[in-house]
Amino acid sequence: MGATDVAPDATTPSVVCSGLDIVYTVFGAKQKGTDTGGELPLVERLLARRNPVSSVRKVHAVKDVSFVVNHGEAVGIIGRNGSGKSTLLRAIAGLMPPTNGRVWAAGRPSLLGVNAVLLTGLTGAKNVMIGGLALGLTPAQVRDRYAGIVDFSGIGDFVDLPMSAYSSGMGARLRFAISTAAAPDILMIDEALATGDAEFQARSRDRIAEIRRDASTVFLVSHSNAAIRESCDRVLWMEQGRLVMDGPTDEVVRAYEQSHRKATA
Amino acid sequence: MTIGSDQVVQDVQDVQEVESGEDVAERNRPVALGPEEAAALARAAGLEELGVRPGLRGYVREVWSYRHLVWHLSSAQAWATNQNNYLGQLWAVLNPLLLVGSYYLIFGLLLKTRGGTSNYIAFLTIGIFVFGYSASAIIAGSRAVVGQIGLVRALRFPRAVLPISVTLTQFLVNVPAFAVLMVMIPLTGEPFSPHWLLFPVALLLQSLINLGLAFFLARLVNAARDSANLVPVGVRLARYVSGVFFSIPHYAGHGLVSALLLYQPLAVSMTTAREALMDQYPLTWGSWVAAAVWGVVLCASGLVFFWRGEGRYGSN
Ligand SMILES: Nc1ncnc2c1ncn2[C@@H]1O[C@H](COP(=O)(O)OP(=O)(O)O)[C@@H](O)[C@H]1O
Ligand SMILES: [Mg+2]
Repeated sequence: MGATDVAPDATTPSVVCSGLDIVYTVFGAKQKGTDTGGELPLVERLLARRNPVSSVRKVHAVKDVSFVVNHGEAVGIIGRNGSGKSTLLRAIAGLMPPTNGRVWAAGRPSLLGVNAVLLTGLTGAKNVMIGGLALGLTPAQVRDRYAGIVDFSGIGDFVDLPMSAYSSGMGARLRFAISTAAAPDILMIDEALATGDAEFQARSRDRIAEIRRDASTVFLVSHSNAAIRESCDRVLWMEQGRLVMDGPTDEVVRAYEQSHRKATA
Repeated sequence: MTIGSDQVVQDVQDVQEVESGEDVAERNRPVALGPEEAAALARAAGLEELGVRPGLRGYVREVWSYRHLVWHLSSAQAWATNQNNYLGQLWAVLNPLLLVGSYYLIFGLLLKTRGGTSNYIAFLTIGIFVFGYSASAIIAGSRAVVGQIGLVRALRFPRAVLPISVTLTQFLVNVPAFAVLMVMIPLTGEPFSPHWLLFPVALLLQSLINLGLAFFLARLVNAARDSANLVPVGVRLARYVSGVFFSIPHYAGHGLVSALLLYQPLAVSMTTAREALMDQYPLTWGSWVAAAVWGVVLCASGLVFFWRGEGRYGSN
């Protein structure tokens, strides 16, 4: 999959995103305060009014986003809660089909999110196997890397317990270890490092640097501007589903912080 | 670092602070990338488009390349099914036994639906276990995508893996029940017969039927979630008309209605199993060919139907 006949280097794109729109359909929404009612297509508005038991709402999570990212780039994505960062990552990981627009990517993306549920009823060991296979490894490759994955995650004997018995930090460590074991072409990290302790965060930073050296692309969503400054050379700033700024880390993060100050002043 | 150079750094930062927000925003305005331009760029870099449906042939090949995932997912989930209580895997055997006991009380002793059968316990047990497999596979299959939305939103793989793995999971969950069945059959007085070797074949054909239905239902339920509520109702209805605890020809006669009832896929699965295991029912070409045709047709058309929805799973 994704065999390119172009040698990947820092000048060839690894992700191209054009006019991307993502709209969620939400079930179980309350119809009373129909503040987004104006955005609904006419038919659905009529349906919603006619039928008080139905409770379907559309959420336009990503609006007309375009960008190009090259091999070996590390891109931070910043923005307030609900601005569409996670949704954007899911779309460029090929997990959310675009409502409008198109996305192209090189090779195999691996998305690592706080909510990237593996199968919580199953043991860590089973999750390592299933996650590895889903990332395109063969069973033999997973078995080869098994010890390394468990070691890196540092969860020790807990690997034989169901993941429902893990703390959120332990789950995040195991997910990170699995996602990076397959040497993904594109690694996306969605707030997944925040729950780990300081020692784990340091180790994961090293692992991210390693992955970037293999000409892979890294996307990082984090609410820690320090973490973004440390790992990323370019930043996308999302605001209410729109991409408002796309540029060097320093400038965009500073502009973002200033907009905060203005908002709180 | 000397005081002098610190001062210089501070000055540079001051200059940047003075720069207006509009200038920064202007310089870092996102690219406006038109669809043609983007497509040309992607093509030149050899990138693959996401969220589009591959060709049917490529899709099947891709599903095949994920066969190990199917197996590990199914076996792990089948094992986990009975892990969250104290007796654990013992329930896999206890459940079907309890079910047979209660059905025998109701239908064998109280309602007397044993007409036309010479070995009602064997008839009933086969009906319950074989239909039970279809029922659980259909209900679980209909939720194969919507019930695993976390997995769908976390990992990229051909989504047909999900209905296949759910069907296989239900098969594995029911293996202990089938083992119990094979122990019970001789105990009910059935003479040993080489035809028993056909029972696994009957289960295989039944599994194809179940898988085909899972393909159809999984996509329908993903598109219209409410339909998931109709599936258990439909299954319950089917339980009462498919000849689980009564013989269809005995009660429905030999007309068109009876033929329709007998040759619908769920009833056919029970007929082939009874023909393999019970002395009273000799093997007939009709039921085995019907089971094979249903299995192949449902499975193939179901896969095509499911594939046509690929690229939209997980969008709501
Ligand atoms: N699974 C979902 N179903 C429906 N709406 C969702 C879902 N996930 C996110 N949203 C909505 O999409 C918008 C963007 O969310 P998200 O991408 O998670 O933002 P962020 O990651 O920046 O906090 C929010 O309005 C949120 O309510
Ligand atoms: Mg988020």
